[in-house]
Amino acid sequence: MANEKSNFQLVTNGILNENPIFRLVLSMCPAVGISTTMMNGLMLGIAVLFVQVFSSVTISLFKNVIHPRIRIPTYTLAIATWVTVIDLVLAAYLPEAYAQMGIFVKLIVAFAIITMRLEMFACKESVNDSFWDGIGMGLGFMCGMMAIGFVRELLGLGTLMGFDILGFKPLLFFVLPCAGFFVVGLMMAFFNYIEIAYKKTKQA
Amino acid sequence: MKNILTIVIRLTLSCILAGTVMGTTYVFTSNAKKHNEHVNEQKVMLSLLGYTKDKPAPDSMAMHEVYRYVVTEGDVLSLGYLVPEQGHVFTFVTIDLNGTFLATMPVDISHDLVIDDNERAKAITTALGAGKSLRYADKTIVVTDNGQRMAYLLPGAFPGFKTFISVMLALDPSFTILGLEIMEHEEDPGLGGEIVQDYFKNQFKGKPFAVLKKLKVAKTPIPAEYLKALEAKKSGMTAADVATIQEQYKDKDIYALTGATISSRSVTNGAKAIVKKFAYRISILDGVLKEQQIAVPF
Repeated sequence: MANEKSNFQLVTNGILNENPIFRLVLSMCPAVGISTTMMNGLMLGIAVLFVQVFSSVTISLFKNVIHPRIRIPTYTLAIATWVTVIDLVLAAYLPEAYAQMGIFVKLIVAFAIITMRLEMFACKESVNDSFWDGIGMGLGFMCGMMAIGFVRELLGLGTLMGFDILGFKPLLFFVLPCAGFFVVGLMMAFFNYIEIAYKKTKQA
Repeated sequence: MKNILTIVIRLTLSCILAGTVMGTTYVFTSNAKKHNEHVNEQKVMLSLLGYTKDKPAPDSMAMHEVYRYVVTEGDVLSLGYLVPEQGHVFTFVTIDLNGTFLATMPVDISHDLVIDDNERAKAITTALGAGKSLRYADKTIVVTDNGQRMAYLLPGAFPGFKTFISVMLALDPSFTILGLEIMEHEEDPGLGGEIVQDYFKNQFKGKPFAVLKKLKVAKTPIPAEYLKALEAKKSGMTAADVATIQEQYKDKDIYALTGATISSRSVTNGAKAIVKKFAYRISILDGVLKEQQIAVPF
């Protein structure tokens, strides 16, 4: 099925139809724990985007030689390799970016979304498709994280991307980890509602 | 059986491949990374002492590094300090665990090479002679202004919520904290990761040694005026006002980060331990240096 999709469709698929956070409900730990500000969401999103693309391409390249019974360890190995490489390269050549991104990059190894995408997509599809799917998934994750971060930062701290918007802190509760569950849940409900409403208008 | 063999072989091959990729990257990047860390360390040291690009450190200021080692000879442990001596030579002073002086020996190493961990260890081992093994513990930087001690810089590390947090502490000669900077950590962003924020790390500024010894973490919100003073860079509070408020709060405990009590506590306890141990060690070292009349530049 995915074979018939164009590159552009593969990207939008990751952002909308199969959004990692709101549709696939994967990688909920970072979605709940780290999305306290939009900036955090953006940083983690960028880090995931790169690791997802690199690992997807790697696994797609080697899909024929990976033994089916050890695919999950192999995926983890591929992700860990790319995480280490990105971490080292950033630390060496982009120290400014590393100061910001470092802690996010190191978190990635155990992300469900990347492993699942390798399992569901990259180990079956061509390198080209895997590349674009990786970009779609990374962008989808970034958008999801930023959307949650938007709500939580605005309502919890009264700021957006670190800039003071409201001038006061409406509800500090939203920055706490437990509020992450509420925000993710409510947003998921909201997106499902839109989808249902959209399908209804289409049918009518 | 055949299946298991292919699995073993393929997994081994994958691991070797992954290891090669990581290893190659490490080889190519390690020098640049070390260089960056060194530059960053220098910058942090100066900023902790209150110097910036616009306000550079005076020429009369000098930094002297003291390296501490654990020396093992058979079952006997002793401590060794590599100290610079006037006239550009280095001396290795060994002290036993009770604080009594053991021996002193000159170490043949240049000022440029002493920064390198391996070169330094090699030179000291040569000076020590056979039968003794050496383990690097930590370093302290004694900052002097016109030969008078003005501050100590202590790099250190302690366990945080996930893994080690490495920090740099600046103390004045009476062990009052001048500043704390987080060098490296892997706490969760948004939670424990907040330890790098001004409103947390600046709380340590100005804590006298007597207060620090009993420092705890308080789980109450930071009072608004104190928060403003801690985030002086953001709130634009004048240095004089900041100093007044800091003076008011200097006896207070550290206000914990919301949702990251463990990280807050480990930084507090870590800083406490580093300073307490240092204060003890430096008093012994000073005693020995004076007694043996070793002419150190600090």
